[in-house]
Amino acid sequence: MRTMNFARRNFKELIRDPLSLIFAIALPLFLLFIFQQFNIPSDSYKLENFTPGIVVFGFSFITLFTAMLISKDRGTSLLIRLGTSPMRPAEYIAGYMISILPIIILQNILFFVLAIIMGLKASVYIILAILASVVVALPFIALGILIGSVFSEKASSGISSIVIQLVCFTSGMYFPKELIGEAFARVCEILPFESCVNIIKGIANNDMGIISVRNLIVFAAWTIVILIAAVVVFKRKMTSDNK
Amino acid sequence: MYSIETKNLTKKFKEKTAVDGVNLHIKDGELFALLGVNGAGKTTTIKMLSAILLPTDGSITIEGMDMRKEPNKIKEILNISPQETAIAPNLTVRENLEFIAGVYQIRKPTIKINEIIRTFKLEELQKQKAKTLSGGWQRRLSIAMSLINDPKVLFLDEPTLGLDVIARKELWDIIGGLKGKMTTILTTHYMEEAEALSDRIGIMADGRLIAVGTAEELKDMAGTENFEDAFVAIATGKAATTEEGGEQK
Repeated sequence: MRTMNFARRNFKELIRDPLSLIFAIALPLFLLFIFQQFNIPSDSYKLENFTPGIVVFGFSFITLFTAMLISKDRGTSLLIRLGTSPMRPAEYIAGYMISILPIIILQNILFFVLAIIMGLKASVYIILAILASVVVALPFIALGILIGSVFSEKASSGISSIVIQLVCFTSGMYFPKELIGEAFARVCEILPFESCVNIIKGIANNDMGIISVRNLIVFAAWTIVILIAAVVVFKRKMTSDNK
Repeated sequence: MYSIETKNLTKKFKEKTAVDGVNLHIKDGELFALLGVNGAGKTTTIKMLSAILLPTDGSITIEGMDMRKEPNKIKEILNISPQETAIAPNLTVRENLEFIAGVYQIRKPTIKINEIIRTFKLEELQKQKAKTLSGGWQRRLSIAMSLINDPKVLFLDEPTLGLDVIARKELWDIIGGLKGKMTTILTTHYMEEAEALSDRIGIMADGRLIAVGTAEELKDMAGTENFEDAFVAIATGKAATTEEGGEQK
């Protein structure tokens, strides 16, 4: 009950900030639309490949907004008020995560609807991809909680921008990772973003061969590590902010 | 039984001792003001008493419950209005109250929220987003939120800081109205506020509670005519105070 109450409040805070919606939904939609107008001769920009990339790109903004929401709550002392209440740390974390889920689902529905309007073949696998993307979004939300727990509101937006850039350059959404060189390709394989794109791409296109065991291991490892780090750091900051 | 009782309450941050062996005995329904210059240890004391900061040493008993053993039970019966205005900025006034009612799982929240809205004269502002309120109204909302669970113990950390004289007087009326209904600990930099509102006043310096009494008793202790002079004399060590360590009842 407390978790859902907190999630409702977080959701209202997020959707009442129009910049959140513009960046998390309108900007990726615009990019999806505009890149299809250029007929770029690369497989990366085919709708079946580019749409999953746009989905993960949209998640990087979720990191930004989660980080800013939490850093703002710390800055305004709302978390001090809540720290004296019977709410438990797990309820905060769950409340932050649940509040983001409707935005993620809305994002993905709109991205895939636009892609279908522009020529992506509609199938039941797209619905499965939208559902799977909720899981794929977990490390992005957790990363937002981690950044927002550590940094101030201003610093959070800067640090989260790095995540957005990393998604652009290392997810393979704009160009194949091998294009830059062997070392860069290894970095892309170690970071979680390419794996996230491949997981959604594989499900949406019903081509599970796209999803390698490495993709699954890298995604699972990063998700677990970031989630644990987010919970531990958030709990510690709830106390240390009160010094 | 005291509403709030501390024994040798101490908080150290690395080498710095922020609160040093404070012994407090605050009666049920009492409005107790905690005064001190910046860095005296008031806010750290409040944070320990309100269960958001663990003491390094000593004990806290609130309404007969030990803070170390039953922190969650204690959290059900206390509330705080922190130094910075702790509201959800994009929520309306009513939504802020609904949110905090949900945090405390208030039964029949609508009745309670309507009652608080009436008490704090928030009727005309209830649909307005909190971030658009003036500083005075934000403070008023912050205090209103802290009363949602009918706390037995309420902490008000500098509730009128930065407000104009009219907004401050209006809040005084509200805070004064709480006397006897709940135990209230108030920290403030405004001497006249402490003198006008409090049953008793504690003065902290360098983390220690160096004097406790009514405003009149503290003036007598310092041998001064007005309370501000008494505070300065006591806080700067120019007046005789209670025994070392701040033992007081």
